Amino acid sequence: MTTLTFPLSRIEGHARVVMEVENGKLLTAQFQAVELRGFRNFVVGTPAEQMPVIVPRICGVCSTAHHVASVKALENVFGVTPPPLANTIREVLLLGQLIQNQATSLFIFTMPDRVDAESLFHMDESEASREAQFSIAQKALRVRKVGTDLITLAGGQFIHPIKAHIGGVSGGIPREAAEQMLKELDEMLPVACELFNTYWDMSMVMGERIGSWGDDEPTYYISSTTSVKPKLNSGHLRILSPDGEEKEHFTPEEFEQRIQFEQTDYSYAGKTSYQGQILRANSLARINITSSFATPIADGYLQRFRNNFGSPAHAIMLFDLCRGIELVYAMERTIELLSEDLSSGDTVVGYQVKDGIGYGLVEAPRGPLIHRYVVENGVISDAQFIIPTVHNMRAIERALMVAGNRYIHPEGINLELEKAVGRVVRAFDPCIACATQ
Amino acid sequence: MENDSKQLPKFAVLQLSGCAGCEVSLLNANEWYDKYQLVYMPLVVSTHRIPEDTEVLLISGGVRNDEDVYNVQRAVKNVKRVIAVGTCAISGGVTNLGDRDEVRELFRTQAKRYHLPQLLNKTHPVDSFVDVDLYLPGCPPTPELFMAALMDPQGFKASANVCGECGRRKLNDMKPDHITGFEKGSPDPEICLVNQGFLCVGTSTRGGCRAPCTRAGHPCVGCRGPSNAFIERESTVWFENIQRVFERMTNIPPEELNQALRSPQLSMFLFQFSDYAGGDRRIRSKDKVL
Repeated sequence: MTTLTFPLSRIEGHARVVMEVENGKLLTAQFQAVELRGFRNFVVGTPAEQMPVIVPRICGVCSTAHHVASVKALENVFGVTPPPLANTIREVLLLGQLIQNQATSLFIFTMPDRVDAESLFHMDESEASREAQFSIAQKALRVRKVGTDLITLAGGQFIHPIKAHIGGVSGGIPREAAEQMLKELDEMLPVACELFNTYWDMSMVMGERIGSWGDDEPTYYISSTTSVKPKLNSGHLRILSPDGEEKEHFTPEEFEQRIQFEQTDYSYAGKTSYQGQILRANSLARINITSSFATPIADGYLQRFRNNFGSPAHAIMLFDLCRGIELVYAMERTIELLSEDLSSGDTVVGYQVKDGIGYGLVEAPRGPLIHRYVVENGVISDAQFIIPTVHNMRAIERALMVAGNRYIHPEGINLELEKAVGRVVRAFDPCIACATQ
Repeated sequence: MENDSKQLPKFAVLQLSGCAGCEVSLLNANEWYDKYQLVYMPLVVSTHRIPEDTEVLLISGGVRNDEDVYNVQRAVKNVKRVIAVGTCAISGGVTNLGDRDEVRELFRTQAKRYHLPQLLNKTHPVDSFVDVDLYLPGCPPTPELFMAALMDPQGFKASANVCGECGRRKLNDMKPDHITGFEKGSPDPEICLVNQGFLCVGTSTRGGCRAPCTRAGHPCVGCRGPSNAFIERESTVWFENIQRVFERMTNIPPEELNQALRSPQLSMFLFQFSDYAGGDRRIRSKDKVL
């Protein structure tokens, strides 16, 4: 038996893929998360109110989602309802996170695969003309910066934000700052569309070259968005069945009865399943669950997507295209929100520290994120972080088997396999720092 | 990239156990990419080795497992200048909260995986294993600080401490009786957070971040570590200074303050827990810290 180990790059965190091959036949494909810091253990004993500062450090890419989930979990324990303006500002925060993340995944992580380059910064060495590629890198980083600027505006700083508090947020968004942000958004939205069009075309070419869009077996999907339009700050999770019907929806409290979790000996991350079946989270899950974006340009792309690939769509490379549609949506939706007055009105209510159990749910870019805290005598006695990437673990491994079977034959192993492994994993945009904590 | 990028000095980024926040911040400091040739950074580039004539290596994250030890020792062999970036690489960072016996025991028994990198007993700073030429603390360092470290560390201008960059007014006649959180809502936007009873340690935390947290109404948690006045001295000197500031500016009872400052979980401790509270910290020259 031969063991093939593939180190991974252009994903968040430390992971590798290990395949076992015998007589030209792929036996197993494991996705191994190889790091662990132990947040679940070391936050025990922490004064509950410190959690919104500590848990963003689970991940510098997803810190905004952890910050908001943490605040929501504590509000759930303390029985506090934030004012509507605070919820709007938190939506701006989560939209900023979505823009930053989808731009990073599209342009920094996966676009180089489409032109066979090592990185966004090395695309000038590939076939396309150097000048054109350099302009792609410049534009891509500027689009990504819209997301980080937005998190800075609504969250105080773009990594490990601090402005969401138990009870609300620490202030409105001044008119002048909103106007400046709107200017940046108005300028960058067409640039994002132009880049995404290029990305879409590159993806079509790649799909044709490979002859496949990857594992396309119908699958269950999980998200906390709604069935009519996107929602990043909802109170329910939804399961979509492989045929596209909503199977059920439930609250975070009911999560444990609905979703099965298992640990493995070969990874520091666990994996989940639904009724023994493979689940998928992230962009494709949201797009399969939601009927529209309710913003014009994103809905145009959605129409084009559905005309081309149907609904529900299942091929894994479509996760990447869905991220592009969401990038456009998030910019359009932010323009709507910042056009309202977010500068005046109550942004926070008082609270008292209480003991109890609380859940905080947000739709992070990678899927539904839940923080569950048990507070005793004002300190954390148990914490669980239910991470979107963990829902995709079994789906990643199945997709790796599909790719492996395509390139591993008794006559030999096609060298395209290594690239295929990278493309498969990146389609799911896993976050290893989060998945292992 | 107007120039031939092959001629530019080579630049590599090694990520150990951390959150990638430092890398995300570095990506926002995008002026470097026509000054350096990025040769290694797994988050962004698909190459698996650091070339031999690399000019600058940034190391982020703490040394948490045996693979981190191997990677950090191998990485520095080929490079001329090593910069440790972020609080994890410099002091072990937030994961140092796991550096308590009761947590460590639980953690290691639960975490045993036979086919994966094995966890060390604690998170170690990078300079426990390799020599470091420049330290860039912060959780994470801002893009401005990254640019300064890469382009002109000597020319970087900053206040001695976070207070000097915060802009909130200190009042002599506003003395809180107890430490407060956000239970009564947001703090007054103009007045010093210590005057309002928050456990803000900006008075002794090194400047250079431009105080984004305190400006946004959140107390400084000390992620950049002690200012130059304390960095070459015992950690107790740093703590005593914080205590004196609160004695002078507040009526908070000494027991309450002491308990808060020494409690391992309070967020200011997050970042330097074993390093500064444990008493066995390496003394680092202030000339090496940006």
